[in-house]
Amino acid sequence: MTDIRDPGSPARAPGLAFLELGERLRQRGQLDAAATVALAGLAHYPTLADAHDLLGRIRVEQGQDAVAMAAWRAALECDVSHVGARKGLAYIAFRARDFATAEEHLELAVRAAPHDVTVLAALDRVRAARPVVEPPPIAETGATGFLLFDGQGMRLNGSVGPDAPEHLADAVAAEGASLAREGARVARLLSLGDVQHVVVESSDARVAIFPVAEGASLLVSRPAATPVGRLLALGQRASSAARDWLGRLG
Amino acid sequence: MSGDRWQQILREVTGVPGVRGALILSADDGLVVAESAMDALDTADVAALAAMLVSRAGRCAAAMGTAAPTAVHLTARHGALVAVAGPEPLWLAAVADHDAELGRLRLLLGDFAGAIG
Amino acid sequence: MRVLEPWVADPLAEFLRESSARVALVMTSAGQVIAQHGFTRSLDVMSAAALGAGILATTGELARIIGTAGNFGAVVHQGEQQGVWLAGFDTPRGRWIALVTFGRESSVGLVRLFFARFAEQLAAATPPATAVREVLAEGFERELDDSLRALFGGS
Repeated sequence: MTDIRDPGSPARAPGLAFLELGERLRQRGQLDAAATVALAGLAHYPTLADAHDLLGRIRVEQGQDAVAMAAWRAALECDVSHVGARKGLAYIAFRARDFATAEEHLELAVRAAPHDVTVLAALDRVRAARPVVEPPPIAETGATGFLLFDGQGMRLNGSVGPDAPEHLADAVAAEGASLAREGARVARLLSLGDVQHVVVESSDARVAIFPVAEGASLLVSRPAATPVGRLLALGQRASSAARDWLGRLG
Repeated sequence: MSGDRWQQILREVTGVPGVRGALILSADDGLVVAESAMDALDTADVAALAAMLVSRAGRCAAAMGTAAPTAVHLTARHGALVAVAGPEPLWLAAVADHDAELGRLRLLLGDFAGAIG
Repeated sequence: MRVLEPWVADPLAEFLRESSARVALVMTSAGQVIAQHGFTRSLDVMSAAALGAGILATTGELARIIGTAGNFGAVVHQGEQQGVWLAGFDTPRGRWIALVTFGRESSVGLVRLFFARFAEQLAAATPPATAVREVLAEGFERELDDSLRALFGGS
C-alpha cells in the first residue's frame, strides 16, 4: 500500500523550531528522538495543531496507528481545518481500505486548502483505489450524519458525523438495527403494515431510521432544530440513493 | 393528577380524526396506566410494544451520545404509533390510521405529555 | 432449551425470542417439568418447579378466600434487575404452569403479550392425547431420571 501522505510538506508554525527539528528527525528515521522532541514541544504548546500533527506523523511511522489517530484528532480539536491532520486520518483510513472515510477527510482538507496539490493528488489516489461502486451521494444532502447498516447491525457505509470515530458509528449501527427490528415488530403486531420510518426526537437531536432493502436501514441524524418534515425529506432522498448503491453492490 | 383528567386528555387525543386509541403507559414495565381506545385496539399490546420501542430508541440515542428521547414515532403503510415522554416513567401514546393528521396528533401529544404527571 | 415434548419446542423458542425472557420453565400443575430454558442444574429446576407450583396454589387459594372468580391470571415479582412471571394456563393436556424470568431488556408487558401468544400456539400445536399411562410408584423414580436426562442432556 502506498503512503498517500506527502512527507515533504508538513505544516509549519513560524518560529517554533521544535517542529522543524522533529520533522527532520522523523525524515531521517530517528523516530524515538523525533517523538521526544514533539512531546516536549507539546508540553509547551498543547493547543498547537501542528505539534499534534507532527506527533501523529511520527507515531504512524512507529506503527502506532491508534496513537497517531488520537494525535490527529487532537490536532483537529485545536484547528478543525488542519490539513495535515485530515491527511493523516485519511492515510490511516486508506490503509484500512476504508475509502469512504479517507475520501471524507480529504474532501474536508480540500475545502480548507483548495490549491494544495498534495491533497488533491491524495484525493485522486483514494478515488482511483476505490471499488467501482460509489457510496450514496449522502454528502449532497447536508445532513449531520448518514449511516447505512444491515439487519445484523453491521455498518455498510456512512457515519454519524464527519469527525465521529468509527467505533461510535459501529455502536450506533448496532443499536439502530435493533431499533429498526423493533419498529418492524411493532408494525407487524399492531397490523400497521410495512414500516416507512421511525423518528426519535430528543432535546439535542432528531434521528430517523428508514428501511432501505433486505433488512438494511439508513439512519439520518440532524440537530434538534431541524423540522421533522425536512428530516424525513432528506432521509427519503438518501434512502433512494442508498438503495441504488446497494443495488450496484449486488 | 386525577384519573378524570387523564381520561379527559385521552378523549381529546382520540378525538383527532383517524386516531384509533390513546393511552398512558409506564415505559418501565410496558403496562397501561390509563387508556381510551376503540374495541379493536388492544391497548395492553400497544403499551408493551411502545415501551420496548421507546427503550430501543433510548439505547440508540445513548449510543449516539444524544439526550434521552422525548418522542418516538413510527410511521407505517397502514398506520402510525406516536409516543411522547411525560414525567418519568410515563409516556403518552396514540395509534392512528395512515390518513390521520399526524402533525396535529404529534403537537397535541406534546402539549398533553407534560400534564400527565 | 430442553423439552420433553417436541411440539413444545417451537412455541417456546418463539416466546423466548420475542419476549427476550432469560429463563423459562414449563410444567404441569402436578410439577412435572415439560420444558426448560436457562437452567443449568437439575436441582434448580426441581426447586423452581416446586416453588412455582406452590406459589400459584397459594395465590389460587387466596383468590378463593377473597371471592375472586377463578384464579389470578399471573403472579409477577418485579425486582430492580430481574422480574419473575408465574402463570397457569390451560392446554389440551390440562392446566400447565410457566415460570419466566426477564431482565431490563424486556418488560412485564412484553412477557404478558407474548405469553398469551405462547399459550395459544401451544394449544394449537398439541397433538391428540394418547392413553394416559398409570405412573406406578416403582416406575416414578426411573421416569423422573429419564425426564431430567432429557432436560439436561444426560447430566
